Amino acid sequence: MSRNRPGIGQYVLLTLLAIVFLYPIWWAVSSSLKPAAEIIASPLSIGELTLDNYRAMFADVPIGTGFLNTALVLLVKGGMTMVFCPLAGYAFAKYDFPFKNVLFGVVLLTLMLPTLVLIIPLLLEMSALGWVNTYQALILPGSVDAFSIFWMRQTIAAIPNELIDAGRVDGAGEFGIFYKVVLPVIRPGLAALAVLTTMNIYNDFVWPVVAVNDTEHQTLQVVLATLAQNVTGNRIGADFATVWGELLAAGSIAMLPLLVIFVLLQRHFINGILAGSVKG
Amino acid sequence: MTTSPIGRRGFLKGALGVGALAATGSLAAACAAPGGTGAQPSKLAAPAASASSAKGEITIWNRSGDLFKVFDAAIAKFREAYPNVKVNHQAVDIDAKLANTLISGTDVPDGSFWDDAKIGGQAEHLFDLTDLIAPYKDRTSAYKLSVNTVDGKIYGVPWDLDPGLLWYREDVLDKAGIDPATLATYDDLLKAARTIKEKDPKTKPIHLEKTPFLSQLWLEMLANQQGTSLTDAQGKLRLDSEEYRRIFAWIQGAVKDDLVTHAPYLEQTDVNTLDNGQQVFVPWAIWWSFAPQQLLKNTKGKWRAAPLPAWTPGGARSGAMGGSSFIIPAKAKNPELAWLLYEFLCFKEPGYTAVYGPNDVYPGGLSTSIPSYTPAADPAKPLFKPIDALGGQDLWKVAVEAGASIPAAAPIPWWWAQSVDYLGNNMQRLMEGKMSPDQVISDSAEKIQKNLIDRS
Amino acid sequence: MRLRSVRLTPYLFIAPFFAVFGAFGLYPLIYALQLSFMRWRGGSQARWVGFDNYLYLLTSPEFWSSLGNSAVMWLLIVPLQIVAGLGGAVLLANAKLRLRGFFRVAFIVPFVTPLVAMAQVWIVVFDQDYGLVNYLLNLVGLPDVAWLTSTAWSKPTLALLFLWKTTGFAIIILLAGLQAVPGGVYEAASLDGASRWRQFWSITVPLVRRSMAFLVVIQTLAVFQMFTEPRVVTEGGPYGSTTTAGLYLYDHINASDLGTGAANSFLLVLLVFGLSLVSVRMLRPKDEVS
Repeated sequence: MSRNRPGIGQYVLLTLLAIVFLYPIWWAVSSSLKPAAEIIASPLSIGELTLDNYRAMFADVPIGTGFLNTALVLLVKGGMTMVFCPLAGYAFAKYDFPFKNVLFGVVLLTLMLPTLVLIIPLLLEMSALGWVNTYQALILPGSVDAFSIFWMRQTIAAIPNELIDAGRVDGAGEFGIFYKVVLPVIRPGLAALAVLTTMNIYNDFVWPVVAVNDTEHQTLQVVLATLAQNVTGNRIGADFATVWGELLAAGSIAMLPLLVIFVLLQRHFINGILAGSVKG
Repeated sequence: MTTSPIGRRGFLKGALGVGALAATGSLAAACAAPGGTGAQPSKLAAPAASASSAKGEITIWNRSGDLFKVFDAAIAKFREAYPNVKVNHQAVDIDAKLANTLISGTDVPDGSFWDDAKIGGQAEHLFDLTDLIAPYKDRTSAYKLSVNTVDGKIYGVPWDLDPGLLWYREDVLDKAGIDPATLATYDDLLKAARTIKEKDPKTKPIHLEKTPFLSQLWLEMLANQQGTSLTDAQGKLRLDSEEYRRIFAWIQGAVKDDLVTHAPYLEQTDVNTLDNGQQVFVPWAIWWSFAPQQLLKNTKGKWRAAPLPAWTPGGARSGAMGGSSFIIPAKAKNPELAWLLYEFLCFKEPGYTAVYGPNDVYPGGLSTSIPSYTPAADPAKPLFKPIDALGGQDLWKVAVEAGASIPAAAPIPWWWAQSVDYLGNNMQRLMEGKMSPDQVISDSAEKIQKNLIDRS
Repeated sequence: MRLRSVRLTPYLFIAPFFAVFGAFGLYPLIYALQLSFMRWRGGSQARWVGFDNYLYLLTSPEFWSSLGNSAVMWLLIVPLQIVAGLGGAVLLANAKLRLRGFFRVAFIVPFVTPLVAMAQVWIVVFDQDYGLVNYLLNLVGLPDVAWLTSTAWSKPTLALLFLWKTTGFAIIILLAGLQAVPGGVYEAASLDGASRWRQFWSITVPLVRRSMAFLVVIQTLAVFQMFTEPRVVTEGGPYGSTTTAGLYLYDHINASDLGTGAANSFLLVLLVFGLSLVSVRMLRPKDEVS
């Protein structure tokens, strides 16, 4: 099927869906360029355009610091994920060892437990360690995460055992097999992991919001949440119109880097994901 | 490829593993019990230091937004009076952070802004400020004191008062020959609404709130007007009362006569029906004032504020809707200095003038609430200026006079927001004609008692 | 010597996870488990209540209706997302698709947008009186729909938000699964005269089943834990119709009713575990592809 030329019907459907998918982003970006009061009063029409929301946002919130902190967390936490999760996934997919299923159950449990319930105990632990308001608190809890291990396990399980046994016969060490046989074969899965990890870390806010207090350590999503508190929930406040303007400006700016990277690199990302080297 | 995608046995064994872990957990439980380290609430005493000798650094939290900027400017004034106190003013997501930070007890701020509704629930983690507020007590709004008092102790420095007002279209009333001064009771309001509807059948003059949370907050304003609230100071539910029944019956009557616009607060439908003449009366808190100032176009300049009607002839002409205060955590490093700041902002003239008076953010002053400290709320000495979007009306005078009549209430129970699932939703059913006042009371009371109070 | 190392190797490979789990996962987990048997609101008063929190939830109509709401959302989201995601992935992987780059960006970028800001679009576009969607419906002669204000439509409307936000995620996962489908298999199938649909069903689907199983488990989890969407767009209403399991849990935690919140979390874990098990079993093929 993937070798067939798509028909006109498919193009019409895809185009309509693409418009639907892009409209909310178009709305958010175009609204961020409208006078704040207009966003609420006439949200669907565009009249006068202004950069006021951006000016106010840059003056009011530390979005630059937010970017730098997010980049730092992304680098370290993402790096740990990319190094350690494939290893763990490989162990769970291709080794038999005592307690394997019990241990994998623990991995799944950490995946399934809602973050919300862990906030207070984790905060208490961070307090005991003296780590509240530090980069460690942002980076370490939840690093080498279950989601990525689970994904790697699923990806690596698809590799034929013969391939690994062949490596073993060739006399490669256990890590050598992983490095020389497994990793090249799962490049597509790794590419997907890189994309997903980036997005998960980039979008994470539940724990970061409580883990750090001062401006210096705020990630991008913490900056956004701090702005958003005035427009979600109760909406009791005089300034939710102006805050809407700033929130949409900050939101537009926040999605920009990933958007640009994605547009420029989508070919590489997706070809990476599609770079199959497994021959049935 | 003979294994199933994940492996059913893996799952089952995993579940067993979890069970084993749970067993170990209960062993470890003994050394990691929640609670336990409880301390009696500590009382904060007045700092001995004079203005010039007060020295140190404090971290205080605020919500982000315009109010943050206003406080920023007011803090600069504080630094002029207390030059040796450095204030680290931080904008944080208070709702998501403050309770968690208080419970964990680490890196707590020296002071924070907080909704009055949240303070009672975490009083244990806050300084008892009774002695410090004592000198100002007689001159502070009884309502604000009552919501900040738990078991006879005051835990919040009362900041803003948010009196309910009757917002009305001056031009429409004028044409209908209605003198706003005659709207003395809620029955008068219904009568006026009927008159207006007769002249212009397109109108549905009275705003009724469609979001459950805000409609319940609005209900509490109407109840506060009659000197009651959802629970008494001991936490006993008092929904089943004449006062609440009166409110619900009034709503039911207004709905039956098709006199209401049932719309969610300042969303599109609301803004449009406010601006096209469908809505004429909005009984709402003072913070509605920003609608004509920022959102409305056609009817900008045509809205005015009056005191709310009374429920009974001669009754109170206002009730509070929302509001915030300042708290000082029991684990604050420099609680005395935080008190000096809040004392300055709430009780000292340069402080409250800096907050409410004209400033860079609000050139005419902050007009969405009034001070709860009565010397600051003097009808003759306005802090914010008359408002053009209200046809130049002196909102200050109307609001502080209304504010002065607000009766005391009781601390807001910690489960208030959760009770919206019952009471707020049932109010919506009432507004949609699906429930009678008696049903709203009995059903909400039963569920709140069972799910929230009995589980406290 | 060699055998010994093989025996230790897997433990070494999973050690980083368990080191992090031991340091930052175990304590919170035990603590939360213990909390689920207590009544505690963050102060010094903590009471051991046995199974009371669990019993309360299991006999509470609100708890069950939150599960019911999430179950309906699950039915609205997961099957559709699997089918649409797979179709999308196949199309986007097709080298003969023109404007492929544009379509890829269009379907995947919602995944990078900040949810709180984007949720506002739903409030605006699905407004009953002034929304774009009803305007378009009226243009083609259809009546207004109370998208966010009727208990019948509120769940589908929120499900759309979730689908919009996460279909890019599904496509990425399924694309990675597709790589295992070598082109030669299709050509062989075409020569055999197998229809396109049959090719898709008998070749593509079995080969991406691991990715699909992963996707189902992750999205089951995400749907049952979802709370930001309903909190921002509908505040759980109208009449609790969008109070999802995640939002119901959030409400407990947000009110610092930590014991009930913890019990609620563990009940959710059990449920999601069970649901994942069932869906994974259903995805297991009856006969294996060689």
